[in-house]
Amino acid sequence: MIDRTIFESLQSKIDEEAAVRDELHEIVQTLARNGRSTTAILSRAHSTPSDQLKPVLDEATKEILAQKDQVARLKALADQHPFYKYNGVWTRELQNLVSSIELCAYLGGLEEYKSNSAASFLTIEEVGKFLDIPVNLKEQDAFHLTIEEYLLSLISMVEELSRLAVNSVTLGDYARPVQIGSFIKDLFAGFQLLNLKNDILRKRSDGIKYSVKKVEDVVYDLSLRNLIPKSSDAA
Amino acid sequence: MAGTKRTWDGKQLSLQSNNSSKKDQTSTMAEQSTQILSIFETFRNELDEHHDRRERLIKISRDITALSKKIIRKLNAPLPENITKETQSRFTQIQSLFTTALPDITGPNKWRYQRQLSGAIQEYIEALSFHHYLTTQTLITLHEVRAKIAADVLVTEEDYLLGLFDLTGEMMRFAVTALSAGSVASDPGASEKKMGLSKEQNGIVVDLRELRSLFEGLSVARRHNMIKDLAKKMEVMQGSVEKVERAAYGILVRGSERPAGWMPDLSGGGDEGY
Repeated sequence: MIDRTIFESLQSKIDEEAAVRDELHEIVQTLARNGRSTTAILSRAHSTPSDQLKPVLDEATKEILAQKDQVARLKALADQHPFYKYNGVWTRELQNLVSSIELCAYLGGLEEYKSNSAASFLTIEEVGKFLDIPVNLKEQDAFHLTIEEYLLSLISMVEELSRLAVNSVTLGDYARPVQIGSFIKDLFAGFQLLNLKNDILRKRSDGIKYSVKKVEDVVYDLSLRNLIPKSSDAA
Repeated sequence: MAGTKRTWDGKQLSLQSNNSSKKDQTSTMAEQSTQILSIFETFRNELDEHHDRRERLIKISRDITALSKKIIRKLNAPLPENITKETQSRFTQIQSLFTTALPDITGPNKWRYQRQLSGAIQEYIEALSFHHYLTTQTLITLHEVRAKIAADVLVTEEDYLLGLFDLTGEMMRFAVTALSAGSVASDPGASEKKMGLSKEQNGIVVDLRELRSLFEGLSVARRHNMIKDLAKKMEVMQGSVEKVERAAYGILVRGSERPAGWMPDLSGGGDEGY
């Protein structure tokens, strides 16, 4: 004897979940749309000399703030459900946003959120403070930025910076590749401290060494030809 | 990481703010290297904890799966008393294994490691529901399943549903054995013309058909995360039902001609799950 009501209640649970997913997805899509324009604006940094970056950064900050509003909407909705149940819906877009924030901060934007204006990046706590979301929650089941997401965002930023090192040379800026080189080598050293298992973080972080090498090659070419300005220390 | 900003040689940075810009830059860079390393050390510890938890849960999950499979294999054989006892002790072992998982699945971790435990839960549901069906001829409800697992273990509707899919495979195996064991012949009063399946045999065929139509009636949104498993399970389930239908047909049509120990023809009934 098979009780049909069992399947009726299963169906209604499945429908409920689908409705939640649809609602979250709608917000994430807006976040993604804004994200694409942020990335597009930030990629102009590759063809803008660093002394003319200010307007680009201002424009990027405006887009990032628009994304921040979407994150607030997302947080309000996601807080009503178990965090890890739906985390997969938005994690990708949140990572993209954080890596845009980091890139913007590295280029000199978002100064008021850095612990120290000379710092090249925002710590996970600073990102959380900027986005107005908690980070690395361990006890409480609520919306937050996880360590893994933060680290993956840093990796995307490193990839973007290695591209920027090449393009800086084209723009006649020979000092920036050296700065980028020393920064991403620091990050690389940090990633080597981690005991990674066979997961996404491992796969992505394996790529950092290629970014480091790419920048080192640029620095090598420059130093070989005595093109590195004296005022900046080779790391 | 908040903290006092220090130079490479440990002096507080604020005391040196009057230094030349070049020295300032070098010290910021050195400070940044150490800051990054200390941040990553914290991350390392957190990630290590995460991996430890994950591995503990995977181990528990494997043990539960193995025990559940043993239960199912035993249940498929005819059921003398001592086997019931053995099965019962395995169920108890599984329940205590779930209890050992509890410290690792508190707070947000309940859903974080859902995937690590979900396989075990599905296998356990398969065993539970099969046992339940054999003893009561009814389908176990999600509520009854949850009552048989420590309260803080997450049993999702998806686990339950996917466990039921596997149940159909076990029912198929059981039904085919039962059909070929031949209660048709054990019905001595029946003449050839009135020949049919016994009530129990017919019951399981009817139940499987009913299950199949209920499964097929479910509609799952494409964005749902179980959609990947679902198509495959659906196919296997349909195959199982068809096998039983063919077996029942074989018994009915050729029942009287079959020699002792004859097994129904199972070819062409679709793939088996495992």
